[in-house]
Amino acid sequence: MLKLEPVIWGLFGAGMMVGVLLFPAWLLVGTLAVPLGIAPAEALSHERALALAGSLPGRVLLAAAIALPLWAGAHHLRHLAIDFGGIARDALVGSLCYAVALAGTVLAVVAVVRL
Amino acid sequence: MSSSPTKKTFVVTRFDPDQDEHPRTDTYEIPVREDWKVLDALNYIKDEVDPTLSHRWSCRMAVCGSCGMQVNGEPKLTCKTALAEYGDTVVVAPLANFPVVRDLVVEMEAFMEKFKAVKPWMIHAKERAAEEGTYLQSPAELQAFKQFSMCINCMLCYAACPVVANEPSFLGPAAVALGHRYNQDSRDDGDAERNEVFREDGGVFACSYANECSEVCPKNVDPAAAVQQAKLLNVLDWAKSFVVPRGGKS
Repeated sequence: MLKLEPVIWGLFGAGMMVGVLLFPAWLLVGTLAVPLGIAPAEALSHERALALAGSLPGRVLLAAAIALPLWAGAHHLRHLAIDFGGIARDALVGSLCYAVALAGTVLAVVAVVRL
Repeated sequence: MSSSPTKKTFVVTRFDPDQDEHPRTDTYEIPVREDWKVLDALNYIKDEVDPTLSHRWSCRMAVCGSCGMQVNGEPKLTCKTALAEYGDTVVVAPLANFPVVRDLVVEMEAFMEKFKAVKPWMIHAKERAAEEGTYLQSPAELQAFKQFSMCINCMLCYAACPVVANEPSFLGPAAVALGHRYNQDSRDDGDAERNEVFREDGGVFACSYANECSEVCPKNVDPAAAVQQAKLLNVLDWAKSFVVPRGGKS
């Protein structure tokens, strides 16, 4: 696992970027701007959203938005586990965390491909 | 200055490996001057009250890095820490996360080994002949690493680091900052060798970015920044190894 640290940390960093930069913007639009009428309701109509998500950039972005924060979360959880429980079971805990992130990534990719 | 000296109580950790099974504390109530640092009080205790107290110190001007201790639970350079910052009782203990040799003196051997591991010296791909002149450097090139060269090896960052506490093999903030300092030096060609060390078990990726190292650094070195930069450079290095064989170096 440790030989993969640069990859994992890269995914973690990318996940943090998505979580910190993209999610607030999306939440702002989806949960505030549209319901409050600041943005027109049809901006996120089913057809428009589906067309956006179905385009190639849309699919890539959607997969990244689902998968990358999973890696960020998994990495955080693993380090939290080290902080609270020590390093002894790191191989097991780390493998579990990243296995979930990997499974989520596979699911996300399958989902956007089948969209 | 007040005519009658103020008194403060010092609760100091004592440990004699020949007699004590566990560290204990001794309490000293001593007169202090308002401009004293914590180290002045320890020296007073040693000189006037209890000559058996052991503590390390040398320069008294935050340069030598010898006098790091836990003061009221926080890693501090005792020569730089004003007593006026504290109340009537000051608790002084040896630096956390290090084995204790005696009283306030900690064992530094493992720390020195970590320093050696990052090869903190100039590595040249090809030695320059004397007639080729000196290695020149622009102010911008100096700026890239200068901050990280200000470390005085006081080990406060190791005492503050939660990862060191859990994982004693962790290379740690100061050693990474020092290795990164050479990696960032335009005169040096040793990145690949040091990055190998950085990527080992307990290397830069063991850091969970608590940032405590930079919080306690008495020289404002920001070792946490060095560790994060080293992580990013190692990710790029790793990615580059797929695109360009041997990282682009012949």
